[in-house]
Amino acid sequence: MAVRDFYKILGVSKSASIKDIKKAYRKLALQLHPDRNPDDPNAQDKFADLGAAYEVLSDEEKRKQYDAYGEEGLKEGHHGSHGDIFSSFFGDFGFMFGGNRQQQDRNIPRGNDIVLDLEVTLEEVYSGNFVEVVRNKPVAKEAPGKRKCNCRQEMRTTQLGPGRFQMTQEVVCDECPNIKLVNEERTLEVEIEQGVRDEMEYPFIGEGEPHIDGEPGDLRFRIKVLKHPLFERRGDDLYTNVTITLVEALVGFEMYITHLDGHKVHIVRDKITRPGARIWKKGEGLPNFDNNNIRGSLIVTFDVDFPKDQLSDQQKDGIRQLLKQAPSQKVYNGLQGY
Amino acid sequence: MHLLKAIRIYLDFVLLFFIFAKCQGRDPDTSYVTCGSLVKLLNTRHNVRLHSHDVKYGSGSGQQSVTGVDAADDANSYWRIRGKPNETCQRGLPVKCGQAVRFTHMKTGRNLHTHHFSSPLSNNQEVSAFGENGEGDDLDVWMVQCSGTYWERDDTVRFKHAGTSVFLSVTGEQYGHPIRGQREVHGMPSPNQNNYWKVMEGVFIQPSNDPLHHDEL
Repeated sequence: MAVRDFYKILGVSKSASIKDIKKAYRKLALQLHPDRNPDDPNAQDKFADLGAAYEVLSDEEKRKQYDAYGEEGLKEGHHGSHGDIFSSFFGDFGFMFGGNRQQQDRNIPRGNDIVLDLEVTLEEVYSGNFVEVVRNKPVAKEAPGKRKCNCRQEMRTTQLGPGRFQMTQEVVCDECPNIKLVNEERTLEVEIEQGVRDEMEYPFIGEGEPHIDGEPGDLRFRIKVLKHPLFERRGDDLYTNVTITLVEALVGFEMYITHLDGHKVHIVRDKITRPGARIWKKGEGLPNFDNNNIRGSLIVTFDVDFPKDQLSDQQKDGIRQLLKQAPSQKVYNGLQGY
Repeated sequence: MHLLKAIRIYLDFVLLFFIFAKCQGRDPDTSYVTCGSLVKLLNTRHNVRLHSHDVKYGSGSGQQSVTGVDAADDANSYWRIRGKPNETCQRGLPVKCGQAVRFTHMKTGRNLHTHHFSSPLSNNQEVSAFGENGEGDDLDVWMVQCSGTYWERDDTVRFKHAGTSVFLSVTGEQYGHPIRGQREVHGMPSPNQNNYWKVMEGVFIQPSNDPLHHDEL
């Protein structure tokens, strides 16, 4: 059997974080699933390789062993089927891609859907993240005996005599195999993708409520982006405000803004900065959801803090001399119908 | 004399055994109830789950009713655990015993609520579902009472209303049509066997790693 480079299979570097590995697996699993590649004879093998790579690299112990001794150095065989790994990212029926259940037979009754509002911070929107959840759900299991199912009301006509009929309503049921509900638990991984927008949903097919006569519903995570104390989001752009002193506004200043992932944005001014002045920093906004390589801009708006204390007569004279401005008061209509 | 010594040594061994014995069970990280989680709450005395629906009380406040149901597979029994109004409870953070929380009904967006109205069947304090889109008022706040530091998934806990000090309870009275068989849920002033609850099915959010934190190499 050929030696497998697990890092290459996932497309990540040797120093990739667990988050990068999960993100890579999730993206590739959708692409390489055999149901998605019916014409490729190697699809099963490629998909199995992907599962093996994730199983080793996502486990701290196994990854250490693999890095030191290669695949042969791994102690036990692989436990946990690839199916389990796949369902923790997409749900039990996750191979129905894109959450498109509409193609399914509409006559199969479905259990209720569950929608969970997942609060995310702007830092997570910038850098991405994974949220682990434990799903404890009732699962329909076969039980001994039979039960009544598909109960419905039917009209029965009985003849009372010649030409006399009576119509009565009767409850009629079929007989089905008995089902009982047993609680099962599994871990799911929800990805907060970079650039994700408010109200976007991540479905996990089949992880909703069960239906005794049919299929389980879905579990959907609905993203809710929380407000941030420093930055305001508009599309892919970020807006922030900075208050500077009157002296800085007149003579210039140098500052750093700490961004959402900790890196510093350098701002330096050596000219006069008017209140309301804006600086555009291209590429310092949020990554675009559809293409993470494109970023929006960071727009910084400055306002000026005027001194609170009154100036002494001496200071007033000094300022008149320094700035050399003649008195001037220009009256104009500032609202203009606003 | 020798007998006493032997007993002492035996007891020392027993003590050592307990110190080193590892309890079986789930990974400690997954055993807490955390903020943002969606849960079903089971009343352990009467075996019914806390439930609400778009049906209003015919008496009392006329607000949306809250009941206890037998079924284990109804999505209308899911409640989301959130912090007090104007206080963010960080996603995935374990809820402390004594902490004030709100329970928001998943399907209707209304909060578990109680106030000075009488419940229809037993004349205790009416418990309703109140508010819009998760926002109601200060009477939506309940305190989680449990022994220990954090609310663990295996615990049976009580919920004490912050505003009126009653305990969320079920005593078994059943409704008729149109919610036949569902039990009345109400507030009672004293703690007893009827106000013990336990989380059952749900989606339990685990604490996340800070995305800024690069924890490797």
